Formats: sequence, C-alpha cells, structure tokens
Amino acid sequence: MPLANTSTSVPVIVDEDKCIADKGCTVCVDVCPLDVLRISELTGKAYMKFDECWYCMPCEADCPTGAVTVNIPYLLK
Amino acid sequence: MTFEPFEAFSDLDDLAEKLRDPDPSVRRVAVMELADTAEQDAVALIGSALKDVVPEVRLQAAIALGEFDGRETAEMLVIGLVDHDHRVARASADSLAELKDPAAADPIFPLIAHDDPLVRAAALRGIKELRRPDALPLGLRALEDADPRVRVEALGVVGYLKVEETLPALIACSRDAHADVRRTAVGALGFSRSTHAGEALIRALADADWSVREVAAEILGKARFTRAVAPLLAAIGDPEWQVRVKIIRSLGLLKAVEAVPQIGAALGDEISNLRKEAAAALGEIADVSCRTYLEGYVDDPDPDVRKNVRWALGRIG
Amino acid sequence: MDEITAGLSEIDCDVLVIGGGTAGPMAAYKAKMKNPDAKVVLLEKANVKRSGAISMGMDGLNNAVIPGHSTPEQYTKEITIANDGIVDQAAVLKYAENCFEMIQELDRFGIRFQKDENGDYDVKKVHHMGTYVLPMPNGETVKKALYRQLRRARILISNRYMATRLLTGKSGRIAGAIAVNTRTAEFLVVRAKSVIMSMGAAGRLGLPTSGYLFGTYENAANSGEGYAMAYHAGAKLANLECFQINPLIKDYNGPACAYVAGPFGGYTANANGERFIECDYWSGQMMQEFYKELQSGNGPVFLRLNHLKKETADHIEQILHTVERPSRGRFHEQRGTRYAETMIEMHISEIGFCSGHSASGVFVDEFARTTVPGLYAAGDMASVPHNYMLGAFTNGAIAGEHAIDFIRDVDFDDYDRADVLAEQERVLAPTKREDGIPPNQIEYKVRRLVNDYLQPPKVTKKYELAQQRFAEVRADMEEAMVARDSHELMRAMEVASILDCADMAACASLYRQESRWGLYHWRTDFAERNDEDWKCHVLLGKQEDGTMGCEKRAIQPYVIPISDDEKDAYYKQRITAKA
Repeated sequence: MPLANTSTSVPVIVDEDKCIADKGCTVCVDVCPLDVLRISELTGKAYMKFDECWYCMPCEADCPTGAVTVNIPYLLK
Repeated sequence: MTFEPFEAFSDLDDLAEKLRDPDPSVRRVAVMELADTAEQDAVALIGSALKDVVPEVRLQAAIALGEFDGRETAEMLVIGLVDHDHRVARASADSLAELKDPAAADPIFPLIAHDDPLVRAAALRGIKELRRPDALPLGLRALEDADPRVRVEALGVVGYLKVEETLPALIACSRDAHADVRRTAVGALGFSRSTHAGEALIRALADADWSVREVAAEILGKARFTRAVAPLLAAIGDPEWQVRVKIIRSLGLLKAVEAVPQIGAALGDEISNLRKEAAAALGEIADVSCRTYLEGYVDDPDPDVRKNVRWALGRIG
Repeated sequence: MDEITAGLSEIDCDVLVIGGGTAGPMAAYKAKMKNPDAKVVLLEKANVKRSGAISMGMDGLNNAVIPGHSTPEQYTKEITIANDGIVDQAAVLKYAENCFEMIQELDRFGIRFQKDENGDYDVKKVHHMGTYVLPMPNGETVKKALYRQLRRARILISNRYMATRLLTGKSGRIAGAIAVNTRTAEFLVVRAKSVIMSMGAAGRLGLPTSGYLFGTYENAANSGEGYAMAYHAGAKLANLECFQINPLIKDYNGPACAYVAGPFGGYTANANGERFIECDYWSGQMMQEFYKELQSGNGPVFLRLNHLKKETADHIEQILHTVERPSRGRFHEQRGTRYAETMIEMHISEIGFCSGHSASGVFVDEFARTTVPGLYAAGDMASVPHNYMLGAFTNGAIAGEHAIDFIRDVDFDDYDRADVLAEQERVLAPTKREDGIPPNQIEYKVRRLVNDYLQPPKVTKKYELAQQRFAEVRADMEEAMVARDSHELMRAMEVASILDCADMAACASLYRQESRWGLYHWRTDFAERNDEDWKCHVLLGKQEDGTMGCEKRAIQPYVIPISDDEKDAYYKQRITAKA
C-alpha cells in the first residue's frame, strides 16, 4: 500500500528567540520520554518532529531559558 | 578501542574551558553539563559561574548547585543567596534547602544575622534538616525576629532539635500574633511530654485560627497528654469537622472512656471521615460501653467505616 | 537524522538492567553498591533522566509502612483483601518489611518526605486501608536525585537502546538481551549473567476515548515490552486478566486522585451531584460501580469539590496541578474549569496491565525472581500487587541485591547465534519494504479492537472475535509493516509488543471462568466469583508447541491469616439507603 503525507498539529511549541540549542543545549530533546523532539539542521533550534506527546512537561520544566511550551494535544484538549 | 555504548563522563577541564566562552548561552550549557557530571570537583567550577556577569548564568549555577551537597556547596550558595537578582537569590535559597550534610551548616550560620529578612529565613530553612546542636542559640535568637517568616523558619530549626530547654520560647511563640507562627510553634511542641507544653496545647484548642486548633488537637493525642481529655471533650463541638476528626482521634489514642458517649454520637455524623475516625477511636478505647454504639453501624454504607466498626468490635471481644 | 544504519556490537556485563524508570535505577544502584567490582549496565529506551512512570515526579507515597503507624503484617493483610485473596503473601510481606529502609535511603538521596515540626515523618491517616500515606513536598525532583546517584556510582548507562528480545542460554538460564538503537537502528547484543527487567506497565494496550494514541493514563512510552519479552523468553506471567482500569479526568486522562481530595471532603459524584460510592479508593469493585453509574441515566460521573470552601478546593487544585501530571492545570485552564466552581467530568480509562495498581505482571517470588533462572522483574511489570512507586524502588533493590548474589557462582550461558540473526531479521523487516502499513495505523487498529472486544464486561463471543481480528492484524504486521526511519522502527517494535499483550489479555481472560476483582475481570457468562475452582493464580506462558496457554497455580499458604468476615471488605461499595 502506498503512503500518504497527512498533516497534524503538534502540541509542543519552541520559542526560537529563547532556544539555545544552537549553543549546544540538548535538554528538551534528552528528557522527552517519547523522543519526539529534534534539533533542526536548518535553524539549529529545537522543534517537535513527531506528534506523539504525553504532555508530561519535562521538556518545558527543564528548559533553561523557558523556550518550550507544552500545550494539550488538540484531540483531547 | 572497544565499542562503548554508554553515556560519557565529561571531562571537567573541557567544561571549565567552556565556562570561559564569550557567549553566555554556551556558559549556561556548560553549567548544566557540569551538574550532570555529579562530581564533587564540579562544585567549585559551578560556584565560579555564580560570579558571572550575566544573571541567567548565575541563575543556572544556583539551580545546578542543588544537585550537590557538603560544606563547599554551601559556601558557594551563600554567595548566590545575597545576589541582587532575586531569581538567583530564590534559586540559591531552594538549593540550600536541599543540603543534607551537617558540615554544610557552617558557611550558612553568619547569614542568620543578615539585614534582609528573606536571606535570614532562607538561611534558617537551609540549616533545619542539618540538625546541628550548635544552631540552637541562633535559632532561639531568631524566634524574636521582627519578621514572621523568619520566626516560622526559626521554629523549624528549634523544633527539629527537640530540646526541653527551648520550651519557654516555643510556648511564647504559640501566642504569637501571626497564625502561621502559632501553628508551627504548636506543632513543634509535640516532642515534649512536659506539663507546660500540654497546657500550651490545651490553650491552643481555643485558638482563633482553625488550623492552629487542628494541629493542637492532633498533637495532644500523639503526645499522649492524658490531662487533655476534659479540654478535648469540651472542644468536641468545634465548628470545623477537620478539627473534630483530630479531637476524636486523640480521644481514642488517650483511651478516654469518659468520651465514649460523645464519640458514639459522632458515628451518626453525615461526614464519613468523621464516622470512620469515631469507629477507630472506640476501638482504641475498647471499653465494653463502646459496644452498643458500634453495633448500630456494622452496616454503615461506607466500607471503611464498616471495617473500622468490625475491627473495634473485635478489640472489645 | 534518524537514518537506518547497519551494525551490531556486542558487550558483556554481570548484571543487565533493562528499563531506567523507577525500579531499574534502584536495582542497578543496589547491585553496584553490593559489589562495586561488578559490571552493571542500565539500558533505557529513552533517557534515564526523565523516563518512566514518575518522569515528572510523584506527590507522595501511598503505601508507606512506617513503624509506629502501621505494621508489615497489617499491610500484608490489607493487600490480600484488596486483591481478593489472590496473593502470594511472602512477596508483599518482604516489601512491607523493607520499604521503611528504602524511604530513609531516598531521604538521604535528597528526596524529601513530609515531616512534622519535630522532623519526624508526617504520615497521613487518609487511606482506605490504614496509615500509609506520606506526602513528598519536592516530589518533582525524584528522577534527578536518582540520576545523581547513578552517576556517582558510575553505573554504565545506555540511553536510546530499546531491548527487543531476551537471550536464553543452552542450559536454560538467562544469557542476555538484544537491543536496537532508537536513533540509528544499530544493534547491541548484551551478554549478561543476570538480567533484571523493569520496563513498566503495558499502558498502550487500550485506546483512550480521545482517540489520541499517546493520551494514555500510563506514560505512553510504557508499551508493554517487558511483558512481551518475558513471554518470548519462556517466563510465566500472572493474573493478566486482572486489568488495570482507573477513574480519570475525562479527555485529559490523568488521575483525579480521590485519595488526595478525600481527606478534604472531595468525592466522586453522579450528574445530580450525589455520591454513589462511599469509598473512592481505586479498586475493581469501585470501578464496577463507576462503570454502572456511567451506563445508567445518572451519569456522567464527576469529581466533586465545588461544595467545599473555596480555599480548600483551591488547595487541592494546587496539589493536583503541580506534581505527577502538571499539565492538568493547563487542561482545565483552557476549558475554563475551576474545581471550586464546577464539578469535573470523569471517565473510565483504557485497559492496561500494571501490577502497581492491580495484579497483572510477570510472575515473581519474594526475591523478584521470575520462572527463568537469572531473570528478575520489578516495578509495574512484576506481579507483586498494588506496589506503586515505593514498591518499584523496594523490589528493584531486592532484585539488584539478589542478582549480585546469583552471578557470584555462574558464568555466561551460551546462547544460539541463530537467535540473534533471527531477531535482527525480525526487527529490520519493516525497514526493508518500500511501502506498506505504517506502525501508527497498525497500532490504532489493534488498540481500537482492544476497546471494541476486550474492555469489560468481558463477553466470551467478543473475546473469540478479538482473537480472530488480532491474528489478521498480526499477519498484516508481519508481512506489510513499514518503517522509514529508526524512530518509526521503535514504534514498529512497540506495536509488536502491544499486539502480544492484546493476545495475552484475551487468552488469560478466557481462561479464568469466573468474575473477580470487580470490573477488572467481570465476565458476563461467569458472573459470580468462584473460590472453589478459581482461588488460584492463572499463569500464562509459551507452551512446548510455541502456542500461548494458561495453567492454574496454587496460592502459597498465607503467612498472615485472613478471617472470613474481613475478606469481602471491598464488596458492597454502592451506597444504600440509610436506616
């Protein structure tokens, strides 16, 4: 069966002005139990790559600059 | 080299170098990596970041020191505690409160006399868990502080040490103008078995603040003040059910046979927490006079109450 | 990023711990402390820093057996009653005897437990079962404190390695495990003299009513690998028909924590604001009444706090919104719901396996030993019932210390190289396909079928249909599942575990021909509890012919006797008219 690309809205938002992933910070990516965050090769900033969020918040709580916001996924908010 | 799929142990020299990077964000990341090493040698390096020109780096350092213990960590944190950036000061205070090693108290002691009441309170909070006997005079002096937040923290230091000689000071605090201070003082009296402590607790049963009455009622039973039975009985009509629960529990612990009719009446209360407590108290008392009250509630709708009723009846035999 | 890279490495260790959540770090730490020369490896699918059920911490202990407040014997009795008598008491008693020492050790680690003004533990008498609740004022720091100890003890941590199969040796002992890197798809074969599994609940079994795959009650990373791997290694699993089902805040799917709200006067109510169950402590019997109320015209069901004083309701809100699931506050904020003002709609969770809350787990004895020599299990995936966080720590410690004794007298057991090759082939199969069905679709279908057919009340015909559908999905998974990168490959392997768990849930439920534990195992065709034939464990395992099967196992004679009038304490939950 061929595959399609279906879009989905993701709950975790990263404020790129505050994010210091380009300075070597990987905190949010490290602490996610579902491993859904990545650092963009384009911008050097963190972003949510996979819509597989348990809205558990370590990424937000541990971010040293307050750049990460966890929203409630749309399907259950 | 063999393949090592393990998390690396970072080199402190490399991280020290990163701490000197011109970019404050890089320095911040270095502080976090230093904390992750969990190595004692990282403390001095993190401490040096508490003198960084950028407040965010200092903040990171204050948070990171919460991962460490010992005298050296405390020496660093007292620097952060007096930082003019209040975020750094608050984070340092929180990290101080995480210390466990009694040796960490020494660098904190001088701050108990600091001009800023928040610093004084944080210093007292930091030494509470360390239970150093030589903190006693400092704690006692701070009981007379003008700021109620400092008095509350000082009560913590004094209360944890459980020394009979501190009773007059603790009792004085149980009459403080501030309810938080009174409540903490009443709680701190719990270690004592002396008549004076008992009298202060009994007086607190009539406190204007219900949370003070609640603690007093609880401690009178926990400390087994047998003379408290009559005052507890007199207070059994307290307007707050949370206070009544504690009174009933304490009357049970005190095995107050004379309280059986009042406790038995509480078995009919609409609040099931109270019924549960009443059944348990009658079981603690375990007098034959309890039986008639209990037998009426073996089919109580609350399984917790039923269980306690059965248990109580079993104790009466 | 996340490319599929070929490769296989091999390492040796004395003790391999799989799962870095709660029990695992403690097992690794205790093993290393007991023998600092031992090579201890801790393998974790995510990152030990924040993985597992307590990723954001915990607001308190609810089964702390502390001298002066309760006794191990009393606790053992309570758990025996709470689990309808299906308990090997030795393991519960051992936990109860050891847990106070564990609390003190955690305290030294920097995890703070509530103390009174004289510095003594402030145990709260708020529990259904006695005085076992000890709040944790800085509970959000639990994982950090653990991580710190692991680093200081120089435990070798392998993050981002997902174990997929255990290796058993030619002499029948455990021989190690195979893992795959979730970022590169490279393989790691770990030869070990002993293996401790601490891989959490099977929390991604049922589908939450929101339909969001990851909106589960359990940490969604806990997809049941431990259960599946133990099964394939030949270990027995106990009482899997005793499902975990919890009362939760609807849609948010996080706990409504009646045990937090109860002492303040909060309770579970129906749409009329009336109580219909007196005791809100989570049990199968309580859930059965909850389910019935949802189905009746009186539903839905609510958490009611709006009759309390505003300060009290706000205080409860503050506790519930800060630790364990802190995004709960954000959820209510977006909906504009305040506990002091409105009743909060509740619902029933998806089903799962989790001994922490019920009794379904890999069968272990009081030393955390499974039925495979050298293989241990602890935490939510091991069969010690109602164990919660403190049980995971305590039994993890027991497993770690016992494993160190075990390895003293044994060498590596040789495994068959063919097993490794076969596992590599199985794992990588989805990466060899150009197109097919992605893991998320297979997962959705399995879990939707679990809801359609396995969710209690359990009906025999529905269970048989489920087994047919699961077999069809299994064929699709084996022949057509496609994974385009290493991250998706991790999800593909999780789906395989989820499907194994679904099969196990069906098999075990059909075997026990009675109803027990309230809603957890309510069979409409066998509606009554039958102590004569079924007061025993049901052990599920792989039979000689490779198929799944069940057997009865007698309960060990009680060490703490339970009298007849005590054993039904959890029945009669529904409020009856007052005399």
